[in-house]
Amino acid sequence: MAETLGTFEQAVLLAIFRLADDAYGRAISKEVATRLGREVAFGAVQATLERLENKRLISSLPGSGTPIRAGRPRRFYRVAPSGIAALNDARTTAEILWRGLRWPLRGPA
Amino acid sequence: MRTTPPSWAESLLRLFLPPHVFPSLSGDLLEHYRDSILPARGLGRADRWYVTQVLEFIARKTLPWAALFAGSFLARGALDVLRPTTDFHTRAELSTGIGVGLLLSAGFSIARRSGSFLAGAAAGCAITAIASVLTIGGNVVRLALWHDPRVMSAVAASGGLDEAFSLPAILILPGVALGGIGGLLGAGSRCFSRY
Repeated sequence: MAETLGTFEQAVLLAIFRLADDAYGRAISKEVATRLGREVAFGAVQATLERLENKRLISSLPGSGTPIRAGRPRRFYRVAPSGIAALNDARTTAEILWRGLRWPLRGPA
Repeated sequence: MRTTPPSWAESLLRLFLPPHVFPSLSGDLLEHYRDSILPARGLGRADRWYVTQVLEFIARKTLPWAALFAGSFLARGALDVLRPTTDFHTRAELSTGIGVGLLLSAGFSIARRSGSFLAGAAAGCAITAIASVLTIGGNVVRLALWHDPRVMSAVAASGGLDEAFSLPAILILPGVALGGIGGLLGAGSRCFSRY
């Protein structure tokens, strides 16, 4: 059984997966904000990245800086095999829970 | 026109971040500030966005400590009301000890991660400030729920309403000092562990 993921953790992992070689902090924050349809705090994304890295679900490597960042380096993230397994588990669990129900749910009339 | 965020906010962010995290995270914030926020919102609102991001980051680091600090205050107040006593000395010593221990531990832990003892002092300030807001809110709720004469006389005996509302705010300065002492120990232990 892979690691159980929260919704925000899934959003960050999927953003890293989608961004592939361009997955650094700001790009991940923008992707998560776009997908969730709301502004997200950089601190929230950073805390999640730290947590996912501590769980070894992602890995990171330092990259180069750019003039707009005043030369400060970017840190690029990649989903580890255990992160992919956790995402697959999360999707499977959701599908099992939803099986047999018609979406969107409607309350009693 | 200036295209950099307020330097004091960036210094505050540096205080709370481990040295290996600061360059990339502050670079991400600077890039977003210059590329998206500043052109869309103008200087004043872009600065406000940056400061909010930094404060949110600090709150994230200090909120659990502040909740514990406020919780110990509120628990002490509730105990005084539910189990009134004539001798508050032991309880006062215990709750002071818990508060001091929390601030020293928070200063130690936050400064050990960031490597700067000033992070401990800043954390002490943030924790006591947030805790004073939480404590005031908690006291208001408590008084709204229980305010019969027996409760009010128990509150008066344990220091009164003035103390219940103002003590956490009065503790901001000692909080800075205690957080700073914890910070000195934390930053020192980080240096020591390198050798």
